[in-house]
Amino acid sequence: MTKTGQGIAVRKSLSLDARYAIVGAILIAPTVLILSTVIVYPLVSAIYLSVFSIYTPTMEGEFVGLANYTRLLGSGEFWRSLLNNMIWTAGTLSLQIVFGILVALLLHRKLIFRALARSLVLFPYFLSTVVAVLVWRWMLNDLYGVLNHMLMWARIIDMPVDWLGSMPNAMISLIFIGAWKYFPFVVIAVLARLQSIPDELYEAATIDGAGPFARFTDVTLPQLKDVLIVIVLLRTIWDFKEFDLIYLLTGGGPIIATQTLPLMVYKEAFALNQMGGASAVAVLMMLIMLVFMTLYLRKSGD
Amino acid sequence: MQTGHSIWRRILFNVFAWTVVLLISFPLLWMILTSLKPQSELFLIPPTILPSEITFEHYQRLLTETPFLTYLRNSLWLAAGTTAVVIVVAALGAHSLVRFSYPGRERLARLVLFTYLLPSVVLIIPLYLFMIRVGLVNTLASLIIAYTTFALPYALWLLRSFMAAIPVDLEAAALVDGASRMRAFIDVILPQALPGIISTALFTSILAWNEYLYALVLVNSDEVRPLTTGVMSILITSFNIEWSLLMAASVMMSVPLIVIFVFLQRFLTSGFGAGAVKG
Repeated sequence: MTKTGQGIAVRKSLSLDARYAIVGAILIAPTVLILSTVIVYPLVSAIYLSVFSIYTPTMEGEFVGLANYTRLLGSGEFWRSLLNNMIWTAGTLSLQIVFGILVALLLHRKLIFRALARSLVLFPYFLSTVVAVLVWRWMLNDLYGVLNHMLMWARIIDMPVDWLGSMPNAMISLIFIGAWKYFPFVVIAVLARLQSIPDELYEAATIDGAGPFARFTDVTLPQLKDVLIVIVLLRTIWDFKEFDLIYLLTGGGPIIATQTLPLMVYKEAFALNQMGGASAVAVLMMLIMLVFMTLYLRKSGD
Repeated sequence: MQTGHSIWRRILFNVFAWTVVLLISFPLLWMILTSLKPQSELFLIPPTILPSEITFEHYQRLLTETPFLTYLRNSLWLAAGTTAVVIVVAALGAHSLVRFSYPGRERLARLVLFTYLLPSVVLIIPLYLFMIRVGLVNTLASLIIAYTTFALPYALWLLRSFMAAIPVDLEAAALVDGASRMRAFIDVILPQALPGIISTALFTSILAWNEYLYALVLVNSDEVRPLTTGVMSILITSFNIEWSLLMAASVMMSVPLIVIFVFLQRFLTSGFGAGAVKG
């Protein structure tokens, strides 16, 4: 592409192409260096740590082979956390997709102050998770929270409900708040795609006698298919590894009823001081995520 | 008749759509309203919607009686530091990935995308042990280093898509005129890429501003805590939870985001997918 300069370049000992390749390599070198230090090295050492038994305060390690893994796979807690992780991911992801598409369709149509409406809808995604959690914990407060009052006023419930401290409420609350926080991502991506669907497709469908619903299923959905696949893969990865929201809302509780794998890693490492065991959980979690990551990388490579 | 009918339909649609929008943003509204109410008003049953009297006492107390300003200073340093490091490195890297050819270039680009998807909890244990070993634990520097794990792949990927959109001819013309590759980069590419660089910098600073997990693990004293873990520690250490104070803190934490958000409207689509959702 940029070989235009080649013709007039004075050839020294190296060809221009080779010299350009060296410049290119020098420019990318800082990136490679940093990523090797902060990502590749930790990644390798997480795998290495997972075959040791390390008690944090003393930092003394002992090689234990696959003992950490066999202990995990034989423990109910690991499987429970994995199950929780899948329930949370599937639940919040499906809500995000459904809300996201519906709201995107709403915001795609003519609406007064549409730019403002879009900003208001998208903002939760920008918000710090800490802020989102504080607001929701205040709204869900069992004594003074506005949600219980509104529901009691509407006579949907007649006693204040404990939203975060009991099951299945805690998991349902998590799933809904997660959907509230992350559905704008779906809205942004779907809106961008909607704007590029040619009007002729809708006109043709209308002439063929398609109603609004048929136009959605026959024109809009097929057009959205590709972008939806990418969104689902990306959000699966991100929801699966979510830590902040769950840790701050329920801390994995009551007991371990909402504990997902990232929370288990944190607990093993920094509450129980078992770095080896924690690394083993992290590595197993990575292996599961690798499936989705590979699918996504392949998909975005086309 | 026909027009009258369609006007009603449009009004109805507008009312419906705005009801949905306001329901979605209700938590944000509630945050602002709570922060302006006197503490005693929070415990009224039934709760008031609008404050009976507007008070700024919580904001004042937040700034004078809590370490909020220290947290704020730390967060600003973190956002600025992370962004500065990441933007310089990523701009050079993105230029290399877009305009140079060498063996392994494509594989490297995919690897960067891969690292962007990695969960922080996998990296955090080795990073924590590493920070202890080099004596950086409990410093802002340790957080800036940790933040590059997600900020650098993100910025690189985003800048790559911005830079790929710059026409090749401009650089080629400069090269024909005898400019070196680096001169052409500084004189031709950088000015063209400036809007992309600025928006990438803003997105990156938001990521750093909102980060929680690394700050939770790597830092444990008020002197170096950023806003995210700092405000949570106000919640945890308080004897009885003062929600209006916490809502005031939440509003203050969100103001910079609102400013950046308004500024970034145009770039939202590219910024959030990090070039990944191209549809």
